[in-house]
Amino acid sequence: MKLKLLGTAILSSAMAFGAAGLAQADDFPSKPLTLVVGFGAGGSTDIQARVLANVLEENLGQPVNVVNQPGAGGGVALARLANNADEGYTVVFGTSMTITFGPLSTETTYELDDFRYVAGVTLGQSAIVTGEDRAFGDTWEGLIEYARENPGTSYATQTALDRMIIEYIARQEGLDLRIVPTSGGAGMAPLILSGDVDFGYSGGTHSGYADSGEMPVLLSLAEDRLVAFPDAPTLPEAGYDINAAEIRVVMVPKDVPDDRVERLAEALEAATRDERFIEITEERILMPVTYIPEDEVTQTLRDQIEGYRTLLEELGGVPED
Amino acid sequence: MIGFDAILSAFIAALHYESIAIIFGGVLLGYIVGVIPGLNRAVAIAIAIPLTFYMSAYAAIAFLIGLSKGTAAGSAVSAILLNTPGEPSSAATCLDGYPMAKNGKPRKALKVGLLASVIGDLLATLLLIAVVIPFASVALKFGPYELTAILVFALVFVAGMAGGSFLKGLAAGGMGIILGTVGLDPETGAARLTFGYAELMEGVPILPLVIGTLALAEMFAQLDEHRRNKGASVIKLGKSSEDSLSYREFKSTLPTIFKSTGVGAFVGALPGLGPTVGAFMAYGLAKRTAKDPDSFGKGNPNGIAAAESADNAVIPASYIPLFGLGIPGSVSAALLVGAFMIHGIQVGPLMLREHPEMLFTLFSGMIVASVLMLVVGWYGLRIFAKVTNVPPHIVIAIVIFLCLAGIQVQGYGTFGLATVFVFSIFGYFLKKFDYSFVTFLVAFIVTPMLEMNLRQSVILSGGDIGILLQRPIALAFVVFTALMVLHLAWTAYRRWLGDRLKARQS
Repeated sequence: MKLKLLGTAILSSAMAFGAAGLAQADDFPSKPLTLVVGFGAGGSTDIQARVLANVLEENLGQPVNVVNQPGAGGGVALARLANNADEGYTVVFGTSMTITFGPLSTETTYELDDFRYVAGVTLGQSAIVTGEDRAFGDTWEGLIEYARENPGTSYATQTALDRMIIEYIARQEGLDLRIVPTSGGAGMAPLILSGDVDFGYSGGTHSGYADSGEMPVLLSLAEDRLVAFPDAPTLPEAGYDINAAEIRVVMVPKDVPDDRVERLAEALEAATRDERFIEITEERILMPVTYIPEDEVTQTLRDQIEGYRTLLEELGGVPED
Repeated sequence: MIGFDAILSAFIAALHYESIAIIFGGVLLGYIVGVIPGLNRAVAIAIAIPLTFYMSAYAAIAFLIGLSKGTAAGSAVSAILLNTPGEPSSAATCLDGYPMAKNGKPRKALKVGLLASVIGDLLATLLLIAVVIPFASVALKFGPYELTAILVFALVFVAGMAGGSFLKGLAAGGMGIILGTVGLDPETGAARLTFGYAELMEGVPILPLVIGTLALAEMFAQLDEHRRNKGASVIKLGKSSEDSLSYREFKSTLPTIFKSTGVGAFVGALPGLGPTVGAFMAYGLAKRTAKDPDSFGKGNPNGIAAAESADNAVIPASYIPLFGLGIPGSVSAALLVGAFMIHGIQVGPLMLREHPEMLFTLFSGMIVASVLMLVVGWYGLRIFAKVTNVPPHIVIAIVIFLCLAGIQVQGYGTFGLATVFVFSIFGYFLKKFDYSFVTFLVAFIVTPMLEMNLRQSVILSGGDIGILLQRPIALAFVVFTALMVLHLAWTAYRRWLGDRLKARQS
């Protein structure tokens, strides 16, 4: 019995060492990868991730499994990734807001430097939107003028970030706004369409109304003007020094070795040129595909955090860490 | 407004052989689940949701609707043959079904049950189609003020109608409300009752909570039951000539079926009451209006017909508040909301506007499901009855495995499993001490919606209660709620007075 146990022990440890040795000697990746999505199944991030996984699978020569870890606006997935020791076999596909503004607005167990940002692959198209036939029309100047004359103009917020931006704008323009919380695009849309709320934040819902014109865009929150709404100015164009551009990024824990990050980046760059990924992103989700390499995307995220911190200080409060 | 063409093409889509195959699969699975005691509709939907991830949105919803309908019809089988309702809502079916089966007419009882199920279901589905469109056309009139008023009304109504001890109902509802407030405050972003778990920031995840309190807790309760009484008798299907259903006998149950369908549809259209209440109310009504009330409980086919048609009518009717107002009228309707969301569809007033083709395909799918239910039930009677012979110790083990596998598939991880176990223990004691889990669950589901809408109303109106005068629908529901509270208080007071009088006399 004891001998048998000893035998098993020796055999299993030999196998463990053997496997470890193999993994190091072999080219990365030598086993299936996991692509974690920090949002529920069926959302735009999830749909995009499933196509991305298919495309990556072919390039990397290993299965890529999509796993949903919803919660805290993508924060649950990042909190788990920070403690992950998979050496690059587990990656998170998520939005930049989770890592840039998340740690500033709530208590998180992670921060920017806990991860490496393999690449940015898609640019977000968030915006400030309104409904049809409003008293102020469908321009940003019109809204500002209207809101100055009508204290109590209402705004529908969805995230802590857009709340901060609108509070900053309200202070700069001297507006008295009623800021209404809503849950997601599905919660915001009825309020805007029915006219119960004057204007609001939209992550991507407005793209669905691009053809019908029921949800005009007042202000682009992306770095450039929106693809589907080229008439709406960006934040800097409207006179606000804020960069709130959302980027969809692929992240790994900070201790993943360089050669593995490079291999993943190579596969991602190929994916951004793949027709299937471009089709799902640009035609269905209506967001532009791009490829932003690690150095550049990390610097952008760092700059955004600095910008948000300055804004919060001006507004009178960075939450204590 | 949606054109006739769209409706027609929706029906054509539902009659495609692939759709029929999917709905058939749902009905068949639902029927089997319904037959097996202890596997109920909510569990079946909860377990099937992950399976639908890889289907198209329409296929997924059609499958779930077929499943949901199938369970209601299937549950009659075990209620009649085993005196064990496959669904709690079939408890009323046991009253006459089991005696009739014991008298050597099991097949007749099963056929009455099946026909009543199908007719009740079909009529209520037609009612749903007729009622949802007028509801949806005024959809955008239901802003945060109206929704707040309706949700408060629903909470009071469910709490008042759930019955049983008032204090226990209050406690169960209170637990639901407390759990419903867990997570980030929608306005300030402050973490409430999260105890540092990032997983709780968006609230207690609903699926682990439901699977824990309903499915796993039920399994524990049944395990307990199984340990105590192992020798439940099983009826074999007989072959006597009396055991067939003549057309005349069927015709004599039709008035009962129509009446009970009305009761079921009414109960289903009100949020929270559920099929059990509907079935018992219809049974009571049938017994009270019958010429021979004494024959009820001894194998009267009208008793089976009343319970089954009402039970089945509740389900389509509970989709009226769901599609029209976004309020889930039953546990399975609440679970369907989740399923819809997974497939990117916001259930509620805007559905007709945003996904009209989807809604009509869905309706036609429901009618197809009703017809398939008849086919599955009629030809499968004898085979399905054999499923009840599976020993409970095997069923229970399989169900527990499926529950946990479902959570794992959803990506809730270890935290999800822990949540399931915590709530299974919680649910077990809810059952043991007879607390209404309907009140608990409805409160849990309604609270976050109520909080969001209430806050929106207060902020938008600037805290001015006079806004109600400009919103007549909201005002009406506020008045209804006040009347309801007064009514409940009055009946409670009368009962208390009566009890005191009795105590003094004795």
